[in-house]
Amino acid sequence: MKKSAAEILREYGPFPGAEQVHGVTFDGRHVWFASGDRLNALDPSSGQTVRSIDVAAHAGTAFDGKHLFQIAEDRIQKIDPKTGHVVATIPTPGGGDSGLAWAEGTLWVGQYRDRKIHQIDPETGAILRTIESSRFVTGVTWVDGELWHATWEGDESEIRQIDHETGEVLEVLAMPAGVSVSGLESDGGDQLFCGGGSSGKVRAIRRPRRESR
Amino acid sequence: MDSLITAAARALAAGDPLGALKRVALRGDAPALALRGIAMAQLGDLGRATALLRSAARAFGRKEAVARARCVVAQAEIALVSRDLTWPAKALDAARATLEAHGDRINAAHARNVEIRRLLLIGRLDEAESKLAVLDSTPLPPASKAAHELVVAGIAIRRLQTKAAREALTRARHAASEADIPALTAEVERAFLLLVTPAARLIARGEERLLLLEEIEALPGSGALVVDACRNIVRDERLAVPLASRPVLFALARALGEAWPGDVPRAILVARAFRARHADESHRARLRVEIGRLRAAIRTLADVKATKRGFALMPRRAREIAVLAPPVEEQHPAVLAFLADGESWSSSALAIALGASPRTVQRALEQLAAAGKVQSYGRGRARRWMTPPVPGFPTILLLPGPLPGD
Repeated sequence: MKKSAAEILREYGPFPGAEQVHGVTFDGRHVWFASGDRLNALDPSSGQTVRSIDVAAHAGTAFDGKHLFQIAEDRIQKIDPKTGHVVATIPTPGGGDSGLAWAEGTLWVGQYRDRKIHQIDPETGAILRTIESSRFVTGVTWVDGELWHATWEGDESEIRQIDHETGEVLEVLAMPAGVSVSGLESDGGDQLFCGGGSSGKVRAIRRPRRESR
Repeated sequence: MDSLITAAARALAAGDPLGALKRVALRGDAPALALRGIAMAQLGDLGRATALLRSAARAFGRKEAVARARCVVAQAEIALVSRDLTWPAKALDAARATLEAHGDRINAAHARNVEIRRLLLIGRLDEAESKLAVLDSTPLPPASKAAHELVVAGIAIRRLQTKAAREALTRARHAASEADIPALTAEVERAFLLLVTPAARLIARGEERLLLLEEIEALPGSGALVVDACRNIVRDERLAVPLASRPVLFALARALGEAWPGDVPRAILVARAFRARHADESHRARLRVEIGRLRAAIRTLADVKATKRGFALMPRRAREIAVLAPPVEEQHPAVLAFLADGESWSSSALAIALGASPRTVQRALEQLAAAGKVQSYGRGRARRWMTPPVPGFPTILLLPGPLPGD
């Protein structure tokens, strides 16, 4: 396991009217972040929020290339970003769901205090597989076949790459003391976007390049 | 933070504790227990709230120190509001230190504020003041800021500093309106009423009028000799002679003060000082002794001159004599006079100060407590008595959010 300090590239926010940042996702142009009763689109180059959708947004956020997925209370809402309408709803797998990611046709849901990540069917919500983590799970994301998840436990946050078969921790990026990560999303390249919980911020950190790539 | 907890916390923040409970009612994990505890506290079930917060504090892992500490602070605040003063102050202090160490300045300041409110409530003014002096109230959100200013005002009122009290209440009013919590605003307005409600009667030259706090404060500067029956002292601009431990001498001083510039017949003095209906020769002898003692005690302030029918007070420097009395005459004025300093007293200390038997003092305290004039906390030898509190104790709860990761 490799362990290093997370390198924060940029901080966005806090944003007016968004006291907390929960889930984050990236649609190729904008970073969407959940702030309780809204989904907000942030332009990562300018740092400005360009749009928002009024929808309950309490935890993880994901994007499948066409729709946004947003956890609210005990359900996952499928939202058409063009209209802002909720087009479908499925139940969440647990009671304390936090992170959300889309990969290869399925949704991945972090279950915070249960320290689990479930792979679920995006149509029915049925659990397909469960990975155990050793830490509380906040955000979840997939990039280049790597599964990363964020933790916030004992007032410390880390971003970890884990083996999606065994749950083994492959790499750890430690956030500075007291800086929490509530949601996680990759930009598909060298950056990971992190929701900053009650700091009301979104942070971009560097994703380490592996030599084999 | 997970979705249901977030949804419940939002409901709680929006003043919907039932909505919060609905979302986490069946969950027994630490954040859910904490949220349920706070929701129950807001619904007024303080007993259940305390139990839930206690189990939440236990359920948070050892590493979740901040969340635990917030639960402890919330428990302490509930204890304060429900007047459970036996709650261990050490645990609150440790929680505050934890919050400070983890950079949670808002809740650390909130914890400090709860600690000071407790000290004020149990009548430890000096300690409350010294802690207040080192509290940085800047990080406090408006609601806690209003509570903080109420404490400042409470101490100032106890210390008879009307200007400081008014300034603190004005700041409290501003903060409460910013917080936009009606109950808090009402609390501040009630405290303001104390400044416009008569706090004592002034008896001078046979006339009586009610005085506001401000006028009482100004009294020592008025040049009059004041026989203060609220605290049982005789004072002028320069000097104060405490007579709280000498009730007979004070009763004589008061009778003479009320009659000034006239004199008081011996029979009336005997009746007032010894509660004897008919003055006989032994009473007259005793009166002479007590007048001699009073003369010695207040020598620097006034002379006690014999007249044909009795005695009269002759101030040395002052041109006026006035008697300051409680707005309504109370039972057991001597006991109340000691408690009027705003500090907390043990009944044995009161007995020593009053020169009365512990049993007599105990009986007086029990009667006064039954009438709501005094209150006690603690048990057995640790029991302390004080007059009911002036403001500084918003009954509204401003609990910290005991959730991790937020």
